[in-house]
Amino acid sequence: MGNGMKGNLMINGYGSSNGGHFDQVKLNGRGIVNGNLECVMFECNGSGAVHGDLKVDNGKISGSGKVKGKVEGNNFTIEGHGSVSEGVSLVNKMNISGSGKIGGSLRANEVKIKGKATIATNCETESFRSDGQFAIGGLLSADHIDVRLYGESNAAEMGGQTIKVKGKRRGFFQLFKPFFQTKLTVNVIEGDELELESTKAEVVRGKNVIIGPECEIDLVEYKESFRRVEGAKVREFKKI
Amino acid sequence: MSNELISKKDLLDLTGISYGQLYRWKRKNLIPEEWFIRKSTFTGQETFFPKEKVLERIDKIQSMKETLSLDELAERLSPSSAAGMEFSKNELLKRNIVTNTSLELYGNESGISDPLPFDQLLEVFILDKLLSSGDISLDEGRMLLQVLKEARSILGKSKHELLLIRKLGVTSCLLVNGAENIIVDQGSKVTVRLSVRSCIEELKTNL
Repeated sequence: MGNGMKGNLMINGYGSSNGGHFDQVKLNGRGIVNGNLECVMFECNGSGAVHGDLKVDNGKISGSGKVKGKVEGNNFTIEGHGSVSEGVSLVNKMNISGSGKIGGSLRANEVKIKGKATIATNCETESFRSDGQFAIGGLLSADHIDVRLYGESNAAEMGGQTIKVKGKRRGFFQLFKPFFQTKLTVNVIEGDELELESTKAEVVRGKNVIIGPECEIDLVEYKESFRRVEGAKVREFKKI
Repeated sequence: MSNELISKKDLLDLTGISYGQLYRWKRKNLIPEEWFIRKSTFTGQETFFPKEKVLERIDKIQSMKETLSLDELAERLSPSSAAGMEFSKNELLKRNIVTNTSLELYGNESGISDPLPFDQLLEVFILDKLLSSGDISLDEGRMLLQVLKEARSILGKSKHELLLIRKLGVTSCLLVNGAENIIVDQGSKVTVRLSVRSCIEELKTNL
């Protein structure tokens, strides 16, 4: 994106503007942009909204921002309570550390979740890392999926090369009875190298499969190796 | 083309590719989404593929991936994934993909074969789109077809844009590759600016 002659848009406090092309856009307070917005840098602190599509190199929602449309760009971060009503498509990285809601699909090179992410349909990325909760309505597809569970997460399907799911951390906090379950619920998981803990799934298919503690799997189909720890529930497994 | 299906398991066995590769190729759109056919079987849900198409595609990917990166491959495969297809005139008219007016104009100008191959259909489609939106006149349509015919072999391979510039009632038609900003003199007006790739996508979704 070239930024030759473009100006900046800054809304502090109450205010609204039409969309258009800008260099930097900052919505501090309750700024509203009506129409499609294209800019190099986008920041929304407070409860701003863009009523239209957002095209941005580097974007960030730190308050409770809303984009009523789709987001395209390079990097995007949701730190507060952000929502995008349609899909998000990024060349590089998506960070969700607050509570992010995406009404369509998410495509990015890298996805990192530290808070809670809700994605209505598919999530497609090269590397997916979650230290929080997620709810994915469609397929979670990534080369490397690395999940550390906090609370409950779910996805319709997961597929990729290596998929690792780590359950509860053991130690001091085990003394207290947990208030909520730590569990990942998925219908189908398919991958080459699978290491699962605290996962509930109907079918798990893979080359090398390790089923760890607190798993409940109906069927495991493996190509080369299969191992499970004691206490893992696997109803049926077969080599294919 | 036969309608035989192959299950994902059998496909992986037969071709020797891994789950990781399959999902990666799907993400890069090397294997189109619509080839993933879900069916429920007694072991739960399974995915099937149109056997002939998917085997041919995987073969192609495997032979090309040594020399090209996946992104280059995706580029190479996407516009041409429809390249082998042909469409009969009647079918196109029946399904309202293009109008009879533009088909006739195209036939008079460039000569038409029935069935129509994809690259020619694309030209008709662009013409039709601009004619029906009222952006161009029939004469301008003829000019447009000449430009498209010249560029047929390279059309859609990179970021082509189609421009129509009008000055004092005289129109010029240009096909440019990767132009960010176009500045014209005051008397001229850019009446049409159209990305060829988005036309391809639009056409493909209509088919």
